[in-house]
Amino acid sequence: MRTLYLLLIPALLLLLAIPVSRGRYNDDFDDGEDLADFDDNDFAEFEDMNDDLASEAETTPPPPRASPSSQPEEEEDEDEATVELEGDQDGFEDSDTQVADGPGSRDGFSHSFNGRKEAKRQISSAALQVPAHLQNSWESYYMEILMVTGLLAYIMNYIIGKNKNGRLAQAWFNSHRELLESNFALVGDDGTSKEAVSTGKLNQENEHIYNLWCSGRVCCEGMLIQLKFLKRQDLLNVLARMMRPAGDQVQIKVTLNEEDMDTFVFAVGTKKAMARLQKEMQDLSEFCGDKPKSGSKYGLPDSLAILSEMGEVTDGVMDNKMVHYITNHADKIESIHFSDQFSGPKIMQEEGQPLKLPETKKTLLFTFNVPGMGNTSTKDMDALLPLMNMVIYSIDKVKKLRLNREGKQKADRNRARVEENFLKQTHAQRQEAAQTRREEKKRAEKERIMNEEDPERQRRLEEAAQRREQKKIEKKQMKMKQIKVKAM
Amino acid sequence: MPLLLTSCSPLRRSLLCPVSLFFIHKTANLSLIMSSNNMADPRRQNKILRYKAPSTETNVTLEDPTPDYMNLLGMIFSMCGLMLKLKWCAWIAVYCSFISFANSRSSEDTKQMMSSFMLSISAVVMSYLQNPQPMSPPW
Repeated sequence: MRTLYLLLIPALLLLLAIPVSRGRYNDDFDDGEDLADFDDNDFAEFEDMNDDLASEAETTPPPPRASPSSQPEEEEDEDEATVELEGDQDGFEDSDTQVADGPGSRDGFSHSFNGRKEAKRQISSAALQVPAHLQNSWESYYMEILMVTGLLAYIMNYIIGKNKNGRLAQAWFNSHRELLESNFALVGDDGTSKEAVSTGKLNQENEHIYNLWCSGRVCCEGMLIQLKFLKRQDLLNVLARMMRPAGDQVQIKVTLNEEDMDTFVFAVGTKKAMARLQKEMQDLSEFCGDKPKSGSKYGLPDSLAILSEMGEVTDGVMDNKMVHYITNHADKIESIHFSDQFSGPKIMQEEGQPLKLPETKKTLLFTFNVPGMGNTSTKDMDALLPLMNMVIYSIDKVKKLRLNREGKQKADRNRARVEENFLKQTHAQRQEAAQTRREEKKRAEKERIMNEEDPERQRRLEEAAQRREQKKIEKKQMKMKQIKVKAM
Repeated sequence: MPLLLTSCSPLRRSLLCPVSLFFIHKTANLSLIMSSNNMADPRRQNKILRYKAPSTETNVTLEDPTPDYMNLLGMIFSMCGLMLKLKWCAWIAVYCSFISFANSRSSEDTKQMMSSFMLSISAVVMSYLQNPQPMSPPW
């Protein structure tokens, strides 16, 4: 439907352009013959000689004839003598005056005739310089034709890009379908149907983003897979990618239940990705304060770096099988992030810090690069299957991974520290907020008292409020006294 | 099973042996199958959670501002083209609405897209109706 609309529009444009351009010059095209007559009538007095010259004038450049014919309306409005675009005005005028002398003056006739010839030559030379927009040919509309061609190219690219992305997504799904269906009870859900039935297909968000939700497994709540392809359907993006190559990505986010994961934060990936994540992600910046360590210490390729809360976590996660997986597919791994305190990227708020700690969720995040760096084919999707196996293995592994006593204590201390820091930073703001709330309450009460119509009740309420205030003040004084005594 | 065998006479033992072996084999197999099923099939029908579209606050990556910007640009250019009678403005407006369409999310309203298309097309058509001369290049 959408593509039909797209094709209709340039067609419409072309159709509209045709009558618009024709309408103006319709009459003028037929004037070819009339012009010859026009000339003849003008020089009727010099008929004998005129025949030769007329034929001569008509044969010598016939194309420029078309141009002066295209400006008859404009030329007619001005005087004859003002075909004086260039050339010898004087010569022309002379011939004119001489002609005006009358038919009798045959002496001046040859002169004037030469003058006419001169004039015609001037006209023809001037006609060669007639501005393009006054010529009547399709060639003068070359900018418009260029624009419409550009639009058509855009539409063609849109259709081709959309289809390619669709084929890639389908190829990915076909190669991964079996693995997913054997691991999850629900594969594919868009959240709209009443019953939790597997739709068995990807959700299309965009022409370049596809989603898949899988759920119904031990050890996890659900898994959201996002296929983030390049914007092949947008020609501008295609051209930008020629300057800056980029690749398709597959992002997998596994959300876990509380009991499925112990408390730790860990990430491994390319050095660039690790540097970026450490700055952007809330949990990585708080819990993994050290710079990313090189992966070579744990048997990984040098191109990968590790961010970890503590060494024990790294040892626990990087067992032989994981190292094997990562080493074999290092070129496809962008980042792997396990966290029990995941809350997304850092939120920059205008009013300073948020008043509450952001909500956290136990999550495993995987970002994989599709091989091919933009020039992917459907066969490349099969190369991602072992990575999905790694994801499944990680889910099971994380469930079994438990920190020892020391590790657990350290982790708890870390979390307490982070919370304390946060509370300190927001202390002033929270106090302010509490103060405003108390004032609001007082004002509301006062209003209630004022609104009471019965004066008796009003007085009683006022007295009750006063008594409450007194009690509060006394309590405070008591507290201060107690503190003083204790200090002593 | 072994006790029964020892208490029996040798004849009975010879008869019972294969039978008992057969039963042992069967039960062993069954327990193996059951445990392997439990281990091999991690699917749990009762643990299904429905898909909830991620909110835009948490998913900044999904909030690509390109279609909205292009839509706005397209409208501005088409208004410029209509009022100032500039042909190139109108053409750029057409391009902007195409780009906005190509980048739009599938959840977005098609009416909005169509209205920006129509506005840019009308800007082009009006410019040419008022002034049918071809566009002059800027150089």
